[in-house]
Amino acid sequence: MTDFLKPMVEIEHLHKTFGPETAVKDFNLSIAEGEFVTLLGPSGCGKTTTLRCIAGLERPESGEIRIGDEIVVSPEKDIYLFPEHRNIGMVFQSYAVWPHMTVFDNVAYGLRVRRASSAVIKKQTTRALELVGLDQLAERYATKLSGGQRQRVALARAIVYEPKVILFDEPLSNLDAKLREQMRDEIVRLQKEVGITSVFVTHDQSEALVMSDRVVVMDKAVIQQIGDPQTIYANPVNAFVANFIGVTSLLEGALLGRTGEYCDMEIELGNGQAPLRIQAVGGDGAEQGSSVILSLRPEDITLHTEAPSGTSYGNLLEGSVIDTVYLGSFLECRIQVGSHEIGIQIDHFEQLEPGQKVFLTFQPNHGLALAS
Amino acid sequence: MSTETLPRTVERSLWANRLRSLLTQENIVTIIVSLIVGAAVILPLITLFISSFKVLDPLGWDTTWGFGNYVTLFTDRIIPKAFVNTLIISSGSTILATVLGVSLAWINARTNCPGRDYLEPYNLIPFFLSPFIGAIAWHNLGEPQTGLLNVWAREIFGFEGALMNIDTIWGVVWVTGIFFAPLVYLFVVGSLRRMDPSLEDSARTTGAGLVRTTMTVTLPLVMPGILSGAIIVFVTSAGEFGVPFKLSAPYGWETLTTQIFSKAVGDDANHFLGATMAMSLGIITVFLIWIQQRYIAPRSFTTVTGKGFRPNVLDLGQWRWVAFGYNLSFIFVAVILPIACLIIVSLHPVWTGKIVPEAMTFNNYVKTLFFWREDSIQAATNGIVNSLILAFGGSTIAMVMALVVSYMIHRTKGFGVRLLDFLSVVPIGFPGIVLAMGVLVTYIQTPIYATLWILMLAYITRFFPYGQRNISAIMMAISEELDQSSRMAGASWFTTLWRITIPLLKPGIFAGWILLFIIFLRELSISIILFSTGTETLSVGVYYLTNFENEPLTAALSMAQTVVLLIAIYVFRRVAGREALTA
Amino acid sequence: MDSETQSGTYLEVQNLVKWFGDDPAVDNISFGIPKGAFLTLLGPSGCGKTTTLMSIAGLHSIDSGRIRVGDVVYTSPKEGLFLPPEKRDIGMVFQSYAIWPHMTVTQNVAYPLEIRKVPQSEIDDRVADVLELVGLTDMAEKMATQLSGGQQQRASLARAIVAQPRLLLFDEPLSNLDLKLREQMRVELKRIQNEVGITSIYVTHDQSEALVMSDEIIVMSKGHIEQRGGPLEIYSRPVNEYVSNFIGVANLIKGRVTQVTEPGRGTVQITDHGKDIQVACNLGPGISEGSDAVLSVRPENVHAERENGDGASLEGEVLQAIFLGSHVDCRVQWGDFEWKVIAHPRAHLKAGEKVYLRLDPEHTLAVQP
Repeated sequence: MTDFLKPMVEIEHLHKTFGPETAVKDFNLSIAEGEFVTLLGPSGCGKTTTLRCIAGLERPESGEIRIGDEIVVSPEKDIYLFPEHRNIGMVFQSYAVWPHMTVFDNVAYGLRVRRASSAVIKKQTTRALELVGLDQLAERYATKLSGGQRQRVALARAIVYEPKVILFDEPLSNLDAKLREQMRDEIVRLQKEVGITSVFVTHDQSEALVMSDRVVVMDKAVIQQIGDPQTIYANPVNAFVANFIGVTSLLEGALLGRTGEYCDMEIELGNGQAPLRIQAVGGDGAEQGSSVILSLRPEDITLHTEAPSGTSYGNLLEGSVIDTVYLGSFLECRIQVGSHEIGIQIDHFEQLEPGQKVFLTFQPNHGLALAS
Repeated sequence: MSTETLPRTVERSLWANRLRSLLTQENIVTIIVSLIVGAAVILPLITLFISSFKVLDPLGWDTTWGFGNYVTLFTDRIIPKAFVNTLIISSGSTILATVLGVSLAWINARTNCPGRDYLEPYNLIPFFLSPFIGAIAWHNLGEPQTGLLNVWAREIFGFEGALMNIDTIWGVVWVTGIFFAPLVYLFVVGSLRRMDPSLEDSARTTGAGLVRTTMTVTLPLVMPGILSGAIIVFVTSAGEFGVPFKLSAPYGWETLTTQIFSKAVGDDANHFLGATMAMSLGIITVFLIWIQQRYIAPRSFTTVTGKGFRPNVLDLGQWRWVAFGYNLSFIFVAVILPIACLIIVSLHPVWTGKIVPEAMTFNNYVKTLFFWREDSIQAATNGIVNSLILAFGGSTIAMVMALVVSYMIHRTKGFGVRLLDFLSVVPIGFPGIVLAMGVLVTYIQTPIYATLWILMLAYITRFFPYGQRNISAIMMAISEELDQSSRMAGASWFTTLWRITIPLLKPGIFAGWILLFIIFLRELSISIILFSTGTETLSVGVYYLTNFENEPLTAALSMAQTVVLLIAIYVFRRVAGREALTA
Repeated sequence: MDSETQSGTYLEVQNLVKWFGDDPAVDNISFGIPKGAFLTLLGPSGCGKTTTLMSIAGLHSIDSGRIRVGDVVYTSPKEGLFLPPEKRDIGMVFQSYAIWPHMTVTQNVAYPLEIRKVPQSEIDDRVADVLELVGLTDMAEKMATQLSGGQQQRASLARAIVAQPRLLLFDEPLSNLDLKLREQMRVELKRIQNEVGITSIYVTHDQSEALVMSDEIIVMSKGHIEQRGGPLEIYSRPVNEYVSNFIGVANLIKGRVTQVTEPGRGTVQITDHGKDIQVACNLGPGISEGSDAVLSVRPENVHAERENGDGASLEGEVLQAIFLGSHVDCRVQWGDFEWKVIAHPRAHLKAGEKVYLRLDPEHTLAVQP
């Protein structure tokens, strides 16, 4: 990450267990100053535990976390800083806005515990409330606010004392769909404006794609892939990442060999049909002859109702329509190809009948072979 | 379009159709129960109010209307002092119970005090036992001459005179304080346990230390619970009759309740003056409960989030053993010591303050419990039989009423629901002795006076709200759609109630039933006003023995009551689970 | 069980009015549906759709109007008629599933048959059949509380259809499920409804659910019916701005109809920085020459191109291009108006770039404001 200067948060060999369960295993990550990093994964993958270790709300068994130049936890060196000594801000899923205080008091709290002068408190709190657009509601009690407003209070409260890092624990998941998108854009705008280093935890891949500079995909306590959103989407390193980010059809096959940048693959169709030969990109780490998985995004597949002439497309699949589901802006269509099911998206003007014979083509560089 | 094919039903007259759609099972039951509840609650209160303006002439022959009784409250030789004493007792026991209740709740809910889950049920035992019997036990522990603790202090530690004198107004504060501590506990522990931990986590990440977080976030959030508990303790102490009657009244500290009692049944009985005192006590308590219900309970913040959370637990380090010791001491003082003392005293033929192992006998139990024997004591054996009848019958009837009332409050939108909701809160505001005065003046000239029925009526009126709350809590948690889908499946209202609603509410119904059973079995302050020869209850039996017989007999009957209560508590705990009582 | 009426309308709601306090929740709506159809009432919360459903179910009374199914009048205040819910012979699936937690799956599903005093042997057969239909055969003896959300909803559906009621009512049955399960269940629900063929009314606020499942959709707002039609019709030919905005995402631009070239076609004049632009488009109902209209264009029907191919495109600047994996959500500034455009990720549009927006007359519609 060349756009960013120096690391603000460094995590090395982080390890945390709950009883017999390993929650986080050998987690390594360096987050640059001003960077927005998302930890993404299904529930129970260890993303929240990692975040709580950074916050100091959980104590890891081993590993080291540094914030700025300071070691905040290192069981090996017998160092553990309480959350209040780490100078961080955190936004929680349940908002955690204190119901017995006004909006102003909630936001001013961090400054008060830092013994700021009342003039500074007034100035900074007002500024933070303006940033989140709540300056009109400063004297309102938190219980009188809507969910979206509460989350804004929580956000203002976390940034008001200019912490080194701000941590987000699935802050949008309690909001309804429209509000969620709105708050998502708001957080991105605010983060860019304030330029604060951010770690964001979510299970929602679209949130991760939209908001992040970098995404850390986790599963089963282990990091699966780290990369910027485009890379993660276009070049997933394994089937888990391909399937978790976006929609994709996964077809098992075998790697026959390589022609230039392309892999030659063979896909079994079952039912005594001859195997299908196609070309795709990727296949890193797969041996010749070993089994690989082909990942195909619905938007990269073109549908033909008659056999396409010419060979501008290298890859041709023959199949029949299983069903189509009308989704307004497009139709989602499932196609049976041999023993596989492939999902595609088509315009809603096309008429397809279940059982109808169709042809699918895709360009070799749109198919991705993944080592299994 | 096809209006000519109107169905047959229309041929009946319009009004017949309308009437038919009004006379549903639901509406009929609703109206009947509303009338019963309305009559039971409102009638005694109105009569009490009217009676307080009837002034008895000095000879006791005739009455005139006027404010004379209210003037007497201020001019009487004793009553103003009784007011002050009641105030001191209530304030003192509120402070003591709040300190104990909050600290125990915090230790059990939020620290790593060893064995906290096992200690909790024992912390709650005093809530179920009779404070009257607690007073009797503590009398035997702390009486200057024969009190066990004083005797031991003299004999073992060579103490001069008396270590303590429990027979004072401060003794009353002590006993009511430790017995009502679980009330505060129950109001506080729920909000401590269910508090969203991120409320505290966010204070920590914002930069506040543990102490600051506790003072600025945790404590303010449970404050409504603490205040509610404190008000309930204040009101309950003000209405407590047994403890001051045993410990302070005989030694010159009369309270409002002991004075109402003497005006109701004493030598200088004056029902109208008694009604006036009950009115003034009732106005104070109703006002306080109104404040609690209107302003404090709704501010309970934990109900805002509602979800279940795993609370943050504080590591006390070595201090956890101090917390453990503190917790054990409470159990020792409030449960073990009184019960042990009662057992010891009950085994002696006469009690002089000395334990005489060779003289020990079960004779006291024989005299009080074995009612077929000639030397059995009538009041005691009557009490056992009557209390069991009242406890079984009364709690059953009360729970049926409670079920219908909560169903109406939470499931119907019809008329009178708000009134019913209000009526089922009102009795909580009136101490038992006040309501009993109202029932006494209302029904004294009817045939039910001097029967068990009048006791049953008063018990149910006063206590059915507790049962109703047990059911309502569950009813609010289960979706109305469960009932509706049974109607849609083709079942009538009554079938739905029988096959869906009641089975779903079963745990709440049973827990409520046992709770009422416990309350009815130990009830004193209503019974003491309304009993007559032949309709004594268990607590009245104890009262009779402590007044006219001796301490060992009293202790024996007290123990019998305590054992039944302990069994009921055990069953309650098994049925209702840990969260059943927490407000 | 009940004879069909001549007109073919099986369920008929006539002039239904229901007030809550001073607010009319449902204000004089009428509709009818043929036997076996699947109708969805769609609208935001508070539009009256659930009130309408509850009125049909008999879970509350109505102020005026008439509801009839087959030749049975369910409710008609004018005639003093109100059939209690249990006599209406309706199956209903609730948002909270409403599976009775004190019974097993079999007991839950058998309940409507027991109430109808069906012989035990027949109950066993029918429960087994219907559990197979919803795919819960293996769960038959489980307590309801042991089921997952999706399974509970299947059990709830089984219970609603087991007695083969006259009507099947759905009250937002999928809104408590998570996204993936929801998408799976709506296909499943539709399949089962098709198979049993019971006339169904489905209430939802989720437009994609309505589009996927329904034979017909009624779009409601503020107690009124805005439009009624098939999914494709509602989506591609909304009658007014409200429907256009509620179903899917649309760019809505105010303009005036300048010309009607042939029935249903014409041009609308819109204004960009004082410059008038004529846009050829389809005309919705009630649109005539000279009337004010709103142009409705779906984001997927706006084509953002780097070159001004035919010279008739709208010139704008990309404000924001949000990468969403399968597509890119773009905002394009054009005068004061912000266009929502869906672009292919491989077009690599970037914020700040100049683009030309091309509208396809076939997919541009003028509707009533």
